[in-house]
Amino acid sequence: MIRFEGVHKFFGKLHVLNNVNLHVKKGEVVVVCGPSGSGKSTLIRTINQLEPINEGKLIVDGMDLSDPKVNINKLRAEVGFVFQQFNLYPHLTALKNITLAPIKIRGATKREAEEQAVALLTRVGLAEKKDAHPSQLSGGQQQRVAIARALAMKPKIMLFDEPTSALDPEMIGEVLDVMKDLAQSGMTMMVVTHEMGFAREVSHRVCFIDFGTILEEAEPAEFFKNPKHERLKQFLKQVLSPMH
Amino acid sequence: MLKYKFDWAVVLSGKYFDWLVSGVKVTIQLSAVSIALAFLLGLIIAVMRMSRVRPVRWFAHGYLEFFRNTPLLVQIFFWYFGSYKVLPEAANDWLVSTNFEFASAVIALTIYTSAFIAEDIRSGVLSIPKEQMEAARSSGFSYIRSMRYIILPQAVRITVPPLISQFLNLVKNSSLAMTIGVAELTYQARQVESYTFKGFEAFTAATAVYLAMSILITIVVTWYSKTILSPMKAR
Ligand SMILES: Nc1ncnc2c1ncn2[C@@H]1O[C@H](COP(=O)(O)OP(=O)(O)O)[C@@H](O)[C@H]1O
Ligand SMILES: [Mg+2]
Repeated sequence: MIRFEGVHKFFGKLHVLNNVNLHVKKGEVVVVCGPSGSGKSTLIRTINQLEPINEGKLIVDGMDLSDPKVNINKLRAEVGFVFQQFNLYPHLTALKNITLAPIKIRGATKREAEEQAVALLTRVGLAEKKDAHPSQLSGGQQQRVAIARALAMKPKIMLFDEPTSALDPEMIGEVLDVMKDLAQSGMTMMVVTHEMGFAREVSHRVCFIDFGTILEEAEPAEFFKNPKHERLKQFLKQVLSPMH
Repeated sequence: MLKYKFDWAVVLSGKYFDWLVSGVKVTIQLSAVSIALAFLLGLIIAVMRMSRVRPVRWFAHGYLEFFRNTPLLVQIFFWYFGSYKVLPEAANDWLVSTNFEFASAVIALTIYTSAFIAEDIRSGVLSIPKEQMEAARSSGFSYIRSMRYIILPQAVRITVPPLISQFLNLVKNSSLAMTIGVAELTYQARQVESYTFKGFEAFTAATAVYLAMSILITIVVTWYSKTILSPMKAR
């Protein structure tokens, strides 16, 4: 579904992604973790070309992103993206946030789109909030609407960039539950997160990225029990410590 | 003692009242058509001004500087006296068959005002967080459609106060159309004055109407943005 081959990315002189090789198969859930500034966001944003890559090969859903002829809007319609800051459209209700793209891009009728949106809101536990504006929702609720908005396009891949980092602790669970449910439904997912419980419970693989390089990649049991790199051992000590 | 004898009946009844009323109608038509067109054109120019395609951006920039920095009266004269000399035959025939004075005034007011509106909308767009564009693009919207469905609706909401003042300026500026013979309110007030010598009454009436129109526009646009455009509270 997603294949990085020797991918490099620069911001000016800054070498943000350094020879990334990674393969995410259909139905797999891959968690990416690493210290702040290590390139996690950049990595996940290259997949829907919010950040173009400079070198190497990146293939998403059979489309080669280095091919200038690739229809980027078509690709993005197949890839759902969930942001740390939710980024709901503040001028639209929860329902309209969800129906906008299906109507305008997929050509769904208003009725179809609204039925689907209500079903999705029900799935994320927010059916009664359909007419609320984002400003009237808590962070956890906004993020669940954002997930529903992404799902409304019936994407083949879902990307999450630290979806719970901006949330108050008591709201993290409700968002993780939705994501777990989604993972169990067989969605192909790539998730940048420091929620190691989520990684352990539902992911197929966990990657540790540092200075733009994937230092370690393993199944969760192995990843947490036998970390090999010194940097990862330190990192795990930090994020898993009860003081954290 | 004031020697001047006020005579409000002259302007508030009969033939001269009808003249003023017809002037009000023309002013309303002229303003309404020009406001609608200037708003649309302003949106388009604002988007062009922010285009990543350089020639498009430069064209819009030139347009803005040119039309904001030349006198409106000169622009009105240009469209009225100058344009038909360079327009193709067919366009001229059409213009003459309509109301050439009115059309020239609409064109001048629209273009002039659109330049100001475009700048206001552009600063509105620049104040929308860039994450909104990212969210829209991530859903598969093209740049232009992201602007249309997500960015501009938010930008226009923020831009309501300056937009109101541009609309009011347009109404006031529409009085310049009298110089090319558009029989709008100021033109008619002037007519009444020259037939009756009741200049004070005629122009007081005109002033009252302009004021009423300004207040009305402010109320309507404010009401529209508060209720029909759904509220967008701070996040
Ligand atoms: N648009 C940008 N321009 C310049 N530097 C950037 C940009 N985005 C990110 N960076 C830099 O790239 C590095 C990696 O950033 P990021 O991928 O956001 O890291 P992470 O998500 O792991 O915290 C950081 O040093 C960051 O400052
Ligand atoms: Mg990040």
